[in-house]
Order: sequence, then C-alpha cells, then structure tokens
Amino acid sequence: MSSRSFSYFPPEHEAERASNSYLMSLVVIMVGLPLPIVNVIGSGIYFLANRKSAYFVRWHCAQALLAQAITLPVNAAGLYWTLAIVFDRASFSDNYAAYLITVILFNLIEFIATMVAAVRTRKGHHVSWWFFGPLTDALVRG
Amino acid sequence: MPKILSQFLVLAGLFFGTWFLLRTVDYRSLFRVDEVTNEAEQKLSELILDQMKKDGDECTSDSALALVELIRQRLCLANGIADSSITLHLLVHDEINAIALPDRQLVVYTGIIKYSNSPEELAGVLAHEITHIQHGHVMKKLKREVGVSMLGALAGGDAGGDIARQTTRLLTSSAFDREMESDADYGAVQMMAKAGIDPIHFADLLFRFSQEKGNIPKRFEWISSHPNTQERCAKILKLRKQEAYTIKPILDKARWEYLKKVVGAMKTERK
Repeated sequence: MSSRSFSYFPPEHEAERASNSYLMSLVVIMVGLPLPIVNVIGSGIYFLANRKSAYFVRWHCAQALLAQAITLPVNAAGLYWTLAIVFDRASFSDNYAAYLITVILFNLIEFIATMVAAVRTRKGHHVSWWFFGPLTDALVRG
Repeated sequence: MPKILSQFLVLAGLFFGTWFLLRTVDYRSLFRVDEVTNEAEQKLSELILDQMKKDGDECTSDSALALVELIRQRLCLANGIADSSITLHLLVHDEINAIALPDRQLVVYTGIIKYSNSPEELAGVLAHEITHIQHGHVMKKLKREVGVSMLGALAGGDAGGDIARQTTRLLTSSAFDREMESDADYGAVQMMAKAGIDPIHFADLLFRFSQEKGNIPKRFEWISSHPNTQERCAKILKLRKQEAYTIKPILDKARWEYLKKVVGAMKTERK
C-alpha cells in the first residue's frame, strides 16, 4: 500500500465519498459474513452509484470493488469447502485447515488495509494498493 | 500491464506459499480432531443405546450372545477387521431389525434371529450392518439428517429427550440413502464370500422379507425401511457370481437350534 500524488488534490466532498467506498465494503463484510458475495454486491452497487462522479471518487470505488471481487473466489472456495465438511461431503484435513488459516490471514490484511485506506482517503491522500492500484489505473480513466 | 501481471504473480505466490507452508502443520493432532470426534460418537451411541434399551433389555444369556459373537467374529476376522473394534449388543425385541450405531456399536434384535432360517442368513444381515460401520455411513447419515450442531448438543447432553428419541427412531426405522444401501449390500456380499459364507443366504432372507412384509409390516422394520428389496436381491445374486469362495459352515445345526430356542423363549419387556 502506498500514498501517491494524484492528478489533483480532491475537495472535501470527493474525499468523503471516496473514503465511503472503503467504509461500505467494511460494513458489508460485517453484515454479510459468512457469505463472501454480499460485500462484492455492496461495493458494486456503490461503484455503480458513483460511476459518474469525479475521477478521485471513481478511482477509489473501483479499487475497493476490485479488491473485493478478486478475493471473492478465494473466500467462496473456503466457504464451499467448509460446508462440504459440515455436510459430510468432505473430511477435515490439514490441507483444509491450512487453506482456511491462509484465507483468514489474507482477509485480515485486506480488512486492515481497507480501514487504513478509508482513513487516509478521507484526508485527501491517494492510497494505491499493491496490484489493485495499477489494475485500477489501467481500468479507470480520468 | 507487465507491472500488473508481475504484482499479481507475487500476490498469488504469497497466497499459495503461505498455504503450502501452513500445510506442514498437523492440525488433526493440534485440534484433537480424532479424539473429540471419538468422544462425541461414544456419548452419542450411549445415548441412543439407552433409548433402545427402553424398548428391549440387553440379552442376559451369555451363551446366546456368544453364538452371535461367533458369527460376527468370523466375518470380522476374515475381512481384516480388528475383532475388538466392533461391540455387539443383543437386545430382546421382537422387531426384525439390526442397527449400526455410532462408535462402531452393532445392535441385533432377537427378532431377526427368530426370523432367520440359518446362521448364514443372520450373517448376511450382520455383514450388511458391519459394512455400514466400516464405511462410516452412520455418522454421515446423522450429520445429514440431524445436523452437526444438534449432534454436538446431544453428545454434550444439552439436547432434550425428544431429540434423543427422534435420533434413535431415525437410526432404527429408516434406511440409509440408496447409494449407501447399495454400498452396504456390495460390502456384505464381499464380506460373506471372504468368510466362506454363500451370499445367496442374504438374498434368500431379503426375498422372504419382501414376500412377507405385506402381511406383517410393523415387525419388519429392517426391510420396510430398506426399499426395492427384489431389485436388491437380484443385484446381490449378480454380485455373488463375481466372487470366488469356499463354503465353510458357521454354526452347526445343534448350536443354531439352541440359539433359536434361547431367543425364542425371551420376551420383550417395554419400560
């Protein structure tokens, strides 16, 4: 995660809406657990609602949405595996436990990064994440 | 674009690398998975057995139990199953039934001994139930139909008597799913063949059941809960042809008649 200079310094209302995109994904994660699709839907709706907003807002909505979308298959696989064990279609294994711990670890890192991004974006800083930042740069045009 | 790709690869590498490293830990021992599962199964089976004993006492005749044990041992030893790994309970009950319980417990009602025409027929039923035990069908069925949380509550003593009764009823009066029943039939044929018992006796018993169950359905729990009996008989006969075996008698006529006489004199006492 890095703070980079943006093409312009966002005004107060843009910083607030950009920050809200991260807050939205945090709130929806808490509401939607354990279903991994809920936070993607939440971030998607927020992105669509802001698709005609200023570049700074759109950029951060897109970064938040991409982060959620890319973690979706990883989380969905974890949930599917857990349900398979609960309903006895699969058995508990070291492989499963290791996968679940890895998923929880990566989700925790993402959760913390999202919180930090929400705070810093609110102050008008441009926060770009590893991989998701360059991907957003490539997809969202100013 | 190359930057996105390289960063994606690093991220994916980190994910799979972490997963790979964490796989080296023995989580089953760390979380005592096997120990906890065994304890829960043990408590569950005690609970179900207590419920079953309300409908029929444990048989007090050591000689009758020893003769049924002989058949079970013959099947187990011939199939590489540790003799002490399955516990047999003989309950005095007129219902024609035999039930596999959690924690590798096998319950045989005296009703099925009375109904069997030979020790080989009884061996067929035992082989079928032992296969359910060997393939872990009992816990699979309970998890699917009762639910993991409810089973946990039962094993922990937090569930009410009604739940315990319903769980017992589920095990005693309904079959496993079609796939598990076919699996148990196939296992029974193989088990009987390895023990030198002709699987035709198992098919004979099922066929007789299917012919008679219309007349006295209430007593025929074991068969009324096992669907498509004639289809199963045909399948058993087909599987039998694939097995090579040398027939060795299980119990001689005198001992079988003695067993039938002893269990025939027992009467069900409901509590």
